[in-house]
Amino acid sequence: MTIHTHYPSMDDARLAYEARTDPQAFAELYRRHVRSIYRYHLAHTGNVKDAEDLTSLTFIAALEGIRSFRGTGPYITWLIGIASRKCALFFRGRASKPEIPLDAALHISSPSLSTDKAAARRLQVDRLIGALQTISRDRAEAIILCFFSELSAAEAGLVLGKSEAAVRMLISRGLRDLRTRTSFALEMDYE
Amino acid sequence: MNKDLLEQLPTEEQPIASKLNSLVEDMQLSQSFRWELEAQLMDRAKTTRPTQSWFTKMILPVGWGIAAICAILLLNWAIHSLVPAQPSAGATPIPQASFEDKVRRGEICTGPLALAHGFDVFLTNTDKTKFTTLDAGKSIGELRSFIWASNGQQLALVGNTTGSGNIYVTNSNGDQLQPILSDSQVGYLVDAAWSRDGKQFLMWSVQDNKTLYLVNADGTNFVEKQLDLQILGTPQFTPDNQNIIFYGADATFSGLFELKLDGLQTRLISDLVEDESGLALSPDHSQVAYIEKDRNLGEARLIVEELGTDSKTVLGTLPIPKGLGSSLPESANLSWSSDGKSLVFDFGRGAYDRAVYLAQADGTGLIRVVDSAYAPTISSDGKCLAYISNKQVFLLDLTRVSSSSTATTIILADLPAGRAISDYRLDKLGWKP
Repeated sequence: MTIHTHYPSMDDARLAYEARTDPQAFAELYRRHVRSIYRYHLAHTGNVKDAEDLTSLTFIAALEGIRSFRGTGPYITWLIGIASRKCALFFRGRASKPEIPLDAALHISSPSLSTDKAAARRLQVDRLIGALQTISRDRAEAIILCFFSELSAAEAGLVLGKSEAAVRMLISRGLRDLRTRTSFALEMDYE
Repeated sequence: MNKDLLEQLPTEEQPIASKLNSLVEDMQLSQSFRWELEAQLMDRAKTTRPTQSWFTKMILPVGWGIAAICAILLLNWAIHSLVPAQPSAGATPIPQASFEDKVRRGEICTGPLALAHGFDVFLTNTDKTKFTTLDAGKSIGELRSFIWASNGQQLALVGNTTGSGNIYVTNSNGDQLQPILSDSQVGYLVDAAWSRDGKQFLMWSVQDNKTLYLVNADGTNFVEKQLDLQILGTPQFTPDNQNIIFYGADATFSGLFELKLDGLQTRLISDLVEDESGLALSPDHSQVAYIEKDRNLGEARLIVEELGTDSKTVLGTLPIPKGLGSSLPESANLSWSSDGKSLVFDFGRGAYDRAVYLAQADGTGLIRVVDSAYAPTISSDGKCLAYISNKQVFLLDLTRVSSSSTATTIILADLPAGRAISDYRLDKLGWKP
């Protein structure tokens, strides 16, 4: 595979323009954002298999629709828009949330952790995702966008149709809900 | 998560935020899946030409259709302009024309209208047919906002050059630009506020929203004040300039706060305020208007509170979804008319599902005046309501507004291009007081 050495220095908007005709430009965009999209789906589905499937669907749709990206906002917010539609379709097609237990399905890849610690971390992630489903949707979504997908507050604001300050407030309130109302808080206390 | 965002969180939430961040870091995508998907995408990209979207397919025939309609309209206009129209017996004067003529001739709705759009600030020309930038030399950087002094004689412009805040002041014609703060070290400035006597500014920066800055209107006596709570919306001075009112958050609550500048004691006015620009002080600074959102009752309330007595009046309510799990419409651009008799604001979701509302300050009515519109402001004579809709600035004849009839509206001008694309939430209109 030929790597275009100038691509890593290009910004997303320029890459997206190049990606209309050059698959390597799209590959660079994919490498930059695959982790954000995967974590976005993992936070919503709580299941590695579903998150991988939805990540594939998101990038295939992005590849096919790259010409419709007009650069009026950041590329990542456009991509998250596709991801959220795929996620909504996924849940619409299911009567309920995933049936596979979250702790059994999550994949924590941390070579530096011992098996016990890795299992404990897996349980914590399980509780975190469970806890996110118990707080209000807009607060959870702001946390997912900024913590899981690593968007800035301004970018998350564009996705959610809210101002930067409103996103900060949603995160602050969402974290307070997690701290005071959910089992994730208990997990914190035991540490 | 970016470090700035983490540091801006309240201290109580930082441990859980760090924990959450550390757990998320462990959620790694398997390398095999990553490579497989990349290979699959590359194969797909090489073997299939990107499909044309319906938009691309439709653009040509639709374009020809529009061109044909334009040609017919042009021909129709040309024919009508050659044949003089005969006045019909008993024809009534068209109110739209008379309203527009009065505006263009400067008989009503006088004084310039300022506009912040696309990281630039503009003023209307004399006959109000177009907007002209106030910073043609681009010395203020990326312009974020403007603020009229309460006497209408000066206009402050807030901008940033590579993240360093600038404040410039100009006269009401926009032709004497003077720096107050230039390339300051306060960080990125979003907005500022004048004191009622026009002698002082206050401002805050998004990088450190627990610090308030004060500076004299001539640029001297720069003072920095550390607060125990976060500023989330631009503070406003109370009439005596001793206190400020703003949308913020302490360790327990978020909402509308009053803070004493000398001593920094705080008072929570309402913890139901959720929008940063849903606050406005009356022209005489004796009352504060704000919009509360009661998720339990499912209503947004426009409230006017008398400063000093804490007496509150609900001017009107609007329905919102009930419950904590709902995403709520946002209120913005709340402002008073110069005579303090009415208020306007916009309310809704996004730029298009949003309407402009007009309320009487005596509590006698709250009406929805324009759909798909935002950034309202009332002229100093109270006769015009300016607002933005569909990338144009409109004027509405406020003397004919009632809940049962349609008022005359004219297009003032198209929104100018600006310096860069910005979100509609950064757009703002402000008539000279």
